[in-house]
Amino acid sequence: MSKTKPDKIEIIIDNKPYRVKAGMTILQAAEQNGIYLPTLCSHPSLSPHGGCRLCIVEVEGMRTFPTACTTPVSPGMLIRTHTEQIQRIRREILQLFMSEHPSSCLICDERQECRDYSITIHKAGVTTGCRYCPNDGQCEFQELVEYLEIKEIEYPIYYRNLPVEKEDPFYDRDYNLCVLCGRCIRMCQEVRLANVLAFKHRGRETVLGPAYQRSHLEAGCEFCGACVSVCPTGTLAEKARKWEGPPEAQITTTCPFCGVGCQLQLLIRNNRVIGSLPAEDALVNRGQLCVKGRFCIPELLNHNSRLEKPYRRFDGINYEIGWEQALETAAEKLSACSPEEFAMVLSPNLLNEDLYIAQKFAREVIKSNRIDNSARQFYGAAINEYLDLMQRAAPLSQISRSEVLLCLGLDTRFGRSVVGVELRRALQKGARIVTLHSRRHSLSLNASKWLQPQPGQESEALAKLLHWVRKLEKNPATGTPAVAPDEKDIAEAARILSEGKSALILLGSELLQHREAHQILKTVATLAETLQAAVLPLPPQNNFYGSLLMGAFAEILPGGKSAVKPQKTVKDLFRWEALLETADSGNPGQPPPRVLYLIGENLPPQINSRPEFIIYQNIFMPEADSGADLLLPAAAFSESEGSCFNGAGRLQRVRRAVAPPEKALPDWEILCRLARLMGASGFEFRNVKEVFEEISAVVPRFKNFARPSRHPEPLSLSARFTLPEPDGRVQPKTNGQYRYQLNALISEHSHRGVLLSQRVDGARVIFGEGILHMHPEDARRHKIEAGESVEVISPAFRRVWPVCLDADVAAGNLHIWLPPQEYPGPNPHPVKIRKKHV
Amino acid sequence: MTDFAEIYSRARKSWTRLQESKVPLIYVGSATCGQAAGALELIPAIRETLQELNLKAKIIQVGCIGPCYLEPLMDIQKPGEPRLCYGGVTPEKARRIIRSYLLEDNPLPHLAVGHFGENGQASLNGIPHFFELPMLKPQVRLVLRNCGFIDPENIDHYIAREGYQGLQKAFEMGPEAVIETVKEAGLRGRGGAGFPTFKKWEICRQAPGKEKYIICNFSEGDPGAFMNRSLAEGDPHCILEGLLIAGYAIGANHGYIYVNSDYRLAIRRLRRAYEQMTEYGLMGKNILDSGFDFDLTIKEGAGAFVCGEETALIGAVEGRRGMPRSRPPFPAVSGLFGKPTIINNVETLGTLPNILRNGAAWYRQFGVKSNYGTKTFSLVGSVRRGGLIEVPLGIKLRRIIQDIGGGSWKRFKAVQTGGPSGGCLSEEFLDIPVEYEAMAAAGSIMGSGGMIVIDEDTCVVDLALYFLNFTQKESCGKCVPCRVGTWQMVNILQRICRGEARSEDISHLQNLAETVQRASLCGLGQTAPNPVLTTLRYFRSEYLSHVKEKYCQAAVCKDLTEYFIDPDRCNGCQLCVEICPTNAISGAKSEPHQIDLYRCIKCRACYEVCRFNPLAGNAIEIKARQMA
Repeated sequence: MSKTKPDKIEIIIDNKPYRVKAGMTILQAAEQNGIYLPTLCSHPSLSPHGGCRLCIVEVEGMRTFPTACTTPVSPGMLIRTHTEQIQRIRREILQLFMSEHPSSCLICDERQECRDYSITIHKAGVTTGCRYCPNDGQCEFQELVEYLEIKEIEYPIYYRNLPVEKEDPFYDRDYNLCVLCGRCIRMCQEVRLANVLAFKHRGRETVLGPAYQRSHLEAGCEFCGACVSVCPTGTLAEKARKWEGPPEAQITTTCPFCGVGCQLQLLIRNNRVIGSLPAEDALVNRGQLCVKGRFCIPELLNHNSRLEKPYRRFDGINYEIGWEQALETAAEKLSACSPEEFAMVLSPNLLNEDLYIAQKFAREVIKSNRIDNSARQFYGAAINEYLDLMQRAAPLSQISRSEVLLCLGLDTRFGRSVVGVELRRALQKGARIVTLHSRRHSLSLNASKWLQPQPGQESEALAKLLHWVRKLEKNPATGTPAVAPDEKDIAEAARILSEGKSALILLGSELLQHREAHQILKTVATLAETLQAAVLPLPPQNNFYGSLLMGAFAEILPGGKSAVKPQKTVKDLFRWEALLETADSGNPGQPPPRVLYLIGENLPPQINSRPEFIIYQNIFMPEADSGADLLLPAAAFSESEGSCFNGAGRLQRVRRAVAPPEKALPDWEILCRLARLMGASGFEFRNVKEVFEEISAVVPRFKNFARPSRHPEPLSLSARFTLPEPDGRVQPKTNGQYRYQLNALISEHSHRGVLLSQRVDGARVIFGEGILHMHPEDARRHKIEAGESVEVISPAFRRVWPVCLDADVAAGNLHIWLPPQEYPGPNPHPVKIRKKHV
Repeated sequence: MTDFAEIYSRARKSWTRLQESKVPLIYVGSATCGQAAGALELIPAIRETLQELNLKAKIIQVGCIGPCYLEPLMDIQKPGEPRLCYGGVTPEKARRIIRSYLLEDNPLPHLAVGHFGENGQASLNGIPHFFELPMLKPQVRLVLRNCGFIDPENIDHYIAREGYQGLQKAFEMGPEAVIETVKEAGLRGRGGAGFPTFKKWEICRQAPGKEKYIICNFSEGDPGAFMNRSLAEGDPHCILEGLLIAGYAIGANHGYIYVNSDYRLAIRRLRRAYEQMTEYGLMGKNILDSGFDFDLTIKEGAGAFVCGEETALIGAVEGRRGMPRSRPPFPAVSGLFGKPTIINNVETLGTLPNILRNGAAWYRQFGVKSNYGTKTFSLVGSVRRGGLIEVPLGIKLRRIIQDIGGGSWKRFKAVQTGGPSGGCLSEEFLDIPVEYEAMAAAGSIMGSGGMIVIDEDTCVVDLALYFLNFTQKESCGKCVPCRVGTWQMVNILQRICRGEARSEDISHLQNLAETVQRASLCGLGQTAPNPVLTTLRYFRSEYLSHVKEKYCQAAVCKDLTEYFIDPDRCNGCQLCVEICPTNAISGAKSEPHQIDLYRCIKCRACYEVCRFNPLAGNAIEIKARQMA
């Protein structure tokens, strides 16, 4: 009987015995036991590559020197890791690397002095020393050169002289620095399953990138930045972080950009957020991020439009004031207005604590229930049905456990690419996807069936799908013979869906601003019941769930109880749309409030009549024509503590990473100060913890506030939204005059009332709000070239937009994303177009 | 499903009918080598001639029979007469031979190469027997036995010549016995490494899992190698039969042939063979009632040299970039799509039908101990009789080069075996036997069968540079020693060839070569330095003379040569004056010309025109520059 367990084997490394798990590689065994082996291409989350050859070891009985990263241990293996010969070969190999990698940062004689004395005092910025690699000081290559003590290179140096690739957004690529370790490729292929990157060409000309000289944007890159994270050199460098140097600290927090709730690490240097990386062991996003969480944060937070001090605005000019004066002005205006004349608009991007204090302020200090949230506009008439679906929400991890997945109006390329990765993982395990989307999108290639209804016929298509699913349920043998040709796809999709043992319905936001959205969501609910499927609604607002639980709506009290007596009608409520509705739209809203308190929201430039006084509390300066009278600087999510809920109902922490800029304060603190100034009690909180404690008394989910449950929990809510009567108009159809169907959707990519595209350079490239997508064929008919402007005319509106040609849009359809303020109402709109001559 | 005996007897009948045909048979060697020499122009010419002379004859296109230097080859078999082989046949020559032999019964013995008569040795009208020719006599044709004799697009011909009987035997004895037979026969991988075939098979057969694959490695990429192509063009069925046998032995039901897409003719013939096999029930479900199912995919590759490496080949078949990965796991355990996979070379598979049909003992009579059987080579370079040959293992290199090849044109210098992965052996190694171990001990490899003979007109440094350039360009780029190391070696060799090297460069080159050899990931990198290492070992003096005396003995390295005009031979034709791009040559008409060495850029234009233009006097010489 052997004493060792069968799964443990004994090996000898450098004359010392070790017991390691069978199946490990030599490298893993060595690292586990604290033996350092130099390596460039291996990475814990990637498959072994064996390309850099630096981890070669000597194994008794093997003819060649195997690489430790690829060779599994075997019982009794005799390994020597640092013999003279091996070190000599390693040095030789590293020199070969260096002969095609610029090396003044590696072996220059003046290197140390250069670093120590490079900071000089000059009036103008001067460059001293060589600064061409953004990775200086955090480069794995540098570490290796130091470890192997290489002082000079025996080979002629060959500079590849490749152009630095800067065309794509978010990161630059300087392949002159590339050592072809292949980490980025493996990341892209194995972990992200995106297959954008690959090796190209042979021999000395080997490079990497997308095939056929396409840009990353053309090749379908999701800009998740996973490749940038694993690059050991300065080849891949974030545009925004390029010359920032290594971070001083990292703080784990929650991404503020959508309801998935990815955990990320903010990188901090000099009290600034300089970048973000995925948190490695997070349950939600499993080490992945999308473009927004990975690249958009530092540019957004450090933008020069940050509101840093309180201002009073007269005649379009901002006058800087102190906090006392600002709060006094606010208190004065608020005290003078009656509860009916007050209104407060909250952003669904605020944290729970801020939302709670805000509604408490409105309800207790002003004694007004006139609170609304901009999410109402986003979900429109389908908001109640959406809540129903949220009450059966499944966590993200359900995706990889499902056999069939129905994706509705979902595109995972840029926003929610984390979901895309999960979907591709499920595909790898053999799952099948049915997707319904009117445009070609990120899932159309992966899906087993892509249903592409004409805009306006989504509801009908879903109803047919339901019909077929039911039919198959009753009689699985119902096959092809009875299928009409136009229903063949739907029947096929229904068959796929009913064949899976576990089904999941993912709901994107494309269908929410649909004229029949409530009907669509009702069908989804029935479909889910019929298929016994879980539902994964993917709200694009990071704390929509929290807004509901905190009572950030007129109809809802904290904890989800209804705030409205049943007999009350929509006329009695303040609604966000009330500000937008013009008198001539046939549905006159209420008179505008006298004092409007905006927290994390922007006011549209055109409203029917302007409130007398607007308090604007946000992290950014308002638009010039927003009409704000008092500007209060708030702290961003990275500057205050708090919590939020993701779409599946997981309570997540948001941590303070840096101090707020200048005089900015967290939203709850501003409100508490204001309340105290107005003589209210119950606002004596000293920190977020105390706010949290109070919430826990009202909201059951917060019960155990010290260690709140981290488990996702579907929404449970007794309140319902009061909605205006449906307008009863028949759905307009295209006709000879209005021959195009326009889908104009509210952009999902905003934070605290500001589109990411307005603050982040790269986001403008990939999201492109306000640009009309048109099929090239249609454009040719109208002799329209990309970049030209067209006038889009519908019976109800007339707009001018620039055009881009996009074959993803079916001919006869038009598509555009718009900022919320420009949203023309439920889709689709029959329109005609006219080339706009300048 | 028809009974095989019935198929065989039908095939036999049709073969006999052909052999006893009432009309003459005209065989044209029209494999790629024949086509390159003009076989395709030959066929219409033959047809026209027959029509003109109002003669009836059957034209059969066959594969390569071996002596490529004699291409295009045309054989004529008159009813009742032995088949006669004619070499270097142009359309005019063909017309003459047909008219003379078929009409006037004069076989033109001086044009004939050999006859294929029944009674072996005897000469016929002064025409020697084909297999008694010096080039053919030392050869043993096992794998190539059908090449040049059967119509490769006719399965009946193959079956009539005992085709698919090996497979039948295999089915009779069962997979374990097949492996045992191959073990007894001592067959080793013919791709170059010489790994015992049965060992791989055993591992794969014992590997768990139902799904297994057999791949035929038909990625022939060495410069100057064409053995596999010729075999596939001349006898595709023997490869497919071997593939079936191997698949049966290891338990694979699907096979792949990975072939470079530029081998159009070979691919066409393999596809044709596949169709015929399906028709005859030799492919598909329940082959020959054995219960064994097998199907085949012919995968055309883009032709990267590295795809000859097993793991890279698997990647390419899977549809990925052909890039090797580290082993273990070995393909026999986890290969194509993660399933146990065997990859065998074309020739290995082509040998299997013979072994199975005739038994292990029969096979062991060829070759020597632990190196049994035969090996095909493509004998090329500076050799009088180049072509496709098959010799028993253990034969001396000298016998191949001197007897089969007829020696080199000029003074013999070296022989490069195994292509860019092999080594360059000097004259003193001509007496080593062609065996895996002996070749390796000499610093070269057996290789897949490329054999390039070099005479004194070739500079070995330039040769090493050529091969290294090739491997450098074909490196997949994955590992650094191969990608950068070979390139740095190319750099050093270029410096040597330009006369710019210093003496430490040679030791540097040696060190680097050893690093590349030891540290590279796959066979390509590990063997890439072989041409350099062997030339450094056996021709060090040539390197030294390049470095120290700036002297290139063979007058090949451009920077170390000078151009001279021999005044005695120069007839003053002025052709070179006209062609020189830098106006380096001057001289009046009909007067000897002079060359200005300062202006000369050594573009070789004058040399070519002076040597090959009939008006010129062949007066320009390229000489190695002597140290002053």
